Order: sequence, then C-alpha cells, then structure tokens
Amino acid sequence: MNFYVTYFLTAAGLFGFVGAFTLFGVWGERKISAFIQNRLGPTETGKFGSLQTLADIVKLLQKELIIPAAADKVLFLMAPGIIFIAVYLGFAALPWAPGLVPSQINIGLYYIFAIISIETLGILMAGWGSNNKYSILGAMRSAAQIISYEIPAGFAVISAVMIAQTLNLQTIAMQQGILSSETSKFLGMWDVSKIGGILSWNVFQAPHLLVAFVIYFIASLAESNRAPFDIPEAESELVAGFHTEFTGPQFALVFLAEYSMMFLVSMVGVILFLGAWNTPLPNIGSVTLATWTTGTVWGIVWILAKTMALVAVQMWIRWTLPRLRVDQLMNLCWKVLTPLAFACMLLSGVWRLWVM
Amino acid sequence: MSVVQLAFYFMALVTLGSALTVAISKNLVRSIFMFFITLFGLAGLYVLALADFVAVTQIVIYVGGILVLILFAFMLSGKEALEAAQKQSSRFVSLKNLPSLLLALFFLVVMINVIFKADVANLQWLKEANGTQNVIGVNESMINNIGVNLMTRYLLPFEAISVLLMLALVGAAHLSRKEDMRG
Repeated sequence: MNFYVTYFLTAAGLFGFVGAFTLFGVWGERKISAFIQNRLGPTETGKFGSLQTLADIVKLLQKELIIPAAADKVLFLMAPGIIFIAVYLGFAALPWAPGLVPSQINIGLYYIFAIISIETLGILMAGWGSNNKYSILGAMRSAAQIISYEIPAGFAVISAVMIAQTLNLQTIAMQQGILSSETSKFLGMWDVSKIGGILSWNVFQAPHLLVAFVIYFIASLAESNRAPFDIPEAESELVAGFHTEFTGPQFALVFLAEYSMMFLVSMVGVILFLGAWNTPLPNIGSVTLATWTTGTVWGIVWILAKTMALVAVQMWIRWTLPRLRVDQLMNLCWKVLTPLAFACMLLSGVWRLWVM
Repeated sequence: MSVVQLAFYFMALVTLGSALTVAISKNLVRSIFMFFITLFGLAGLYVLALADFVAVTQIVIYVGGILVLILFAFMLSGKEALEAAQKQSSRFVSLKNLPSLLLALFFLVVMINVIFKADVANLQWLKEANGTQNVIGVNESMINNIGVNLMTRYLLPFEAISVLLMLALVGAAHLSRKEDMRG
C-alpha cells in the first residue's frame, strides 16, 4: 500500500506548489506591472512587499461567502472547484526532471489537452449559475475564445509531436538533450547528440517549430484568458466577466486556477519546444557543461527557470498590449494563426520524411 | 474485492446514477451538467479497461466539444422554448410515452441478447490474437498502431467521415448566412 501514500503525497505536493506559485506569481505580476507603469507596487508588507499577497489571501479567506438570491446554488458553488480541478489535474502528467514525473502516461500531452478543455465547462457553469448578465456574457465569450484558439494551439502542438513521434511528455523531454537515445541534429544537419545544450532543443532541431512555438504561445495566452485576449473579463465593459459574483474563498479558487493555468501552458510550451528540463549549456570539447548540469536537481532548476521566464513574458505582454476587440480576436485566430499552424504541420511532415 | 473491482463498481454507479438523473431531472441545465459526470464516469470505465486513448478522446470530443455546444445552444435559445420544454408532463405512464417506452424496451431486449450471446470470456478472434502474440502490452504506445491502421486499413471510412464533416460545415455556413447576402 506504500505507493498509495506516495500518490497522495505527490498530489499534495503539487497542490502546495500551485498555491505557492500563485502567491509568488501575483506578487511578481504586481511588481512587473508597477515597473512597466513606472510605479513602485506593493512595498509595505514584508521585504519589498513580498508578503502582500499572503496578507491578501488571509483577508480573502475571511470574507463572507455570498450566494446571490437568484443564483442556481449548486452550479454556483461547484463552478470554481471544477475550474480549478480541471487545471490542477493537468499537472499530473508534467515531467520535472529525468526520472521525475508524477504520472508517466503514454498519451500525456493528449491527456493535458483533454483535461484543460473541462475548464470551459466550469466557466460556463459559473456564468450560468451566477444568474447575472455580465457573468453569462463573459462565460460565452470565454468559451468561444477557448474553443477557437484550441485549433491553432492543437496544430502547433501536433507539428512538434510529428517531430518527436510520441505523446509521452517525458520521452519528448528526453529527446532534446544529451540523454537522448536517438540522434538529434541541429537544423537537421549537424549531429549534436553528444553536445546537447540549447542546440538540441526542438526549436533548433527543426527551425519551423520556432513559428509553431510563437503560435502556441499566442494561443495559450487566449486559453488562459490573459490580456490581450481578456475580453471574457474585460473590466471596462463586463465588470469582471464570469467571476463577477464570486467572493471570498471562491474568488480565491478562480484566481488560483488562472495562475495555475498560466504556469501549466508555459510548462507545456517549455517541454514541447524549449528543451524541457534539459540544460541550455552545450558540451564544448573537454568542458562538458551539459553533462555537469544535467540531473534531478538541475532538471527542476532548469524547467522552473524556463517556465518562470515564459510566465514573465506573459505578464509583460499583459501590461504592454491593449485588449483585442472580438472581431480582431477571431480574425487573428482563423485567418492568421490557423493557416500558419497548418503550414507548420505540413513542414513537420516534410521535415520528418526528408531531413531527419 | 480488489481495488480495480471496487473502482469499477464505483464508476458504474456514478455513470448509471448520473445518467438516470439526466433523464429524470426537470431542470435542463442541471441535466446537461449531470451529463458531464456521466461522460466522465464512462471515461473512467474506459481507463479501467486499459483503453486510455479512447478515454481521453471521449473527454476531448464529448466534454470539450459536444457538451459545450449543447450548452451554447441552450443558452442562445429563447426563454419560451425552454419553458415549454420544462413544462412537459412528467407522468411516467401515459399514452404519449408509449412509443418511447416501446423503443426503450426493444433496445433493452437487444442489449440483453447481445450480452448473453457474446460470451466475452472466450471470443474467437481474441484467442487467435493471443495465440499469435499479436497484442499490444499495457505500457506500449497504441497511438502508432491506431495511426497506421487509420491510414492504411481504414482509409476509406476515414475519408468518408471527413467528407461528411465537410458537408456539415458547408451546410452550417450556408444556413447562417443572412438572406440579403445571398446571390
């Protein structure tokens, strides 16, 4: 029965990580937004205001749980839970280091995509359950947006999968470094299996994956409802979109889901395109930097660093670009990203057949 | 009872219970969300049968696609239509329900017949496959197999389905066009 204990510990550990990341992420976002807007951000609580979100969460949890009189109580109460659990379940298949993955699933990538799509259902549930026109408008917008952007994201991911020839995330990670059992070629011509480092990441093994990565990144912003794709919660027109009516612990859950989603999509992007837990440092002759910096601890360090960097870019974009109008949003998805993603998929096939 | 058996009965209970609630509940939205639980329980049963690809596909297509579309259709339809649907008499035994009752009964007979005649424990093709070692292990990847089969043995049905979906798309685009824009 020992392994059941391990399962529960792993799940609890992941939950703890998600919570800690959200606390840190909210603080980081406030600091980054302050820097971009030439302000100071939180400074009073703790050193550099680092305990600000902890104080916020304590306040949030003490708030009264208000259920609107006309709301559908069951749906209203369940919605934040479903939104969060959908995102949290996705973490089960993500590899953290060589040999360190909560659940080694053959079809890990597909599983993550399936489980994320449940979030849409939770959002619709929240919108309908609240019985508020702003909520339902936000929920409808969110669902439309997520469903549309799943297509370019899916095809960008498929073009990476065609290069990797597997849906197992740990195997995809393994292929992009010195631990790979297959030969990896930089730009399809220079054998870098022993050199590793940044040269054997997927985006450099097949250069068109760079385009696929950008498509995936843009689509992932839309899927996590982040600016410039935040019309579901557009403050200037919809109050707060689908989570208008939520207070206290329920609002905290919605927030937790948003930040976990940011981390999840960034980590999937890192695993597929940016070398997963592999080191960016290559082996140069007898200076075997890649061999020195590959291992369990190093793996966690690298993947955390890369994912945090992507999350920081997400925040940077949020505080820099204005919100897209709904028709611009759909134009971008269907007329720009989808054809480009199709082209990437086609190139992947050609690359696999004639170059690799 | 082993853990697997316990899990099976639990999943079966969840699936059947939620399916019953979907059929009985008078609140349409609740029914739709209950249907989500039914589909999830079914996916769990597929996982127990070691068909993880089918389970995940079930969630992608039914939960991520069809259920959301049903919800959209529900939320976009007018209040009058919904109220008419909710006001239907819920008496179980009535003349109006006779055709559906008959249909359900016939289907039940067919299902029971299938279950008793199948003799799942010793199927011919299963035994042959076991004899020639033509099987996929638990930890092996089955997507390669599915992909190769789709592109070789089942290419014609696959293409036929894609043409069908294309027709549906064209039809939807035609229907949603405004009248004055035609011609």
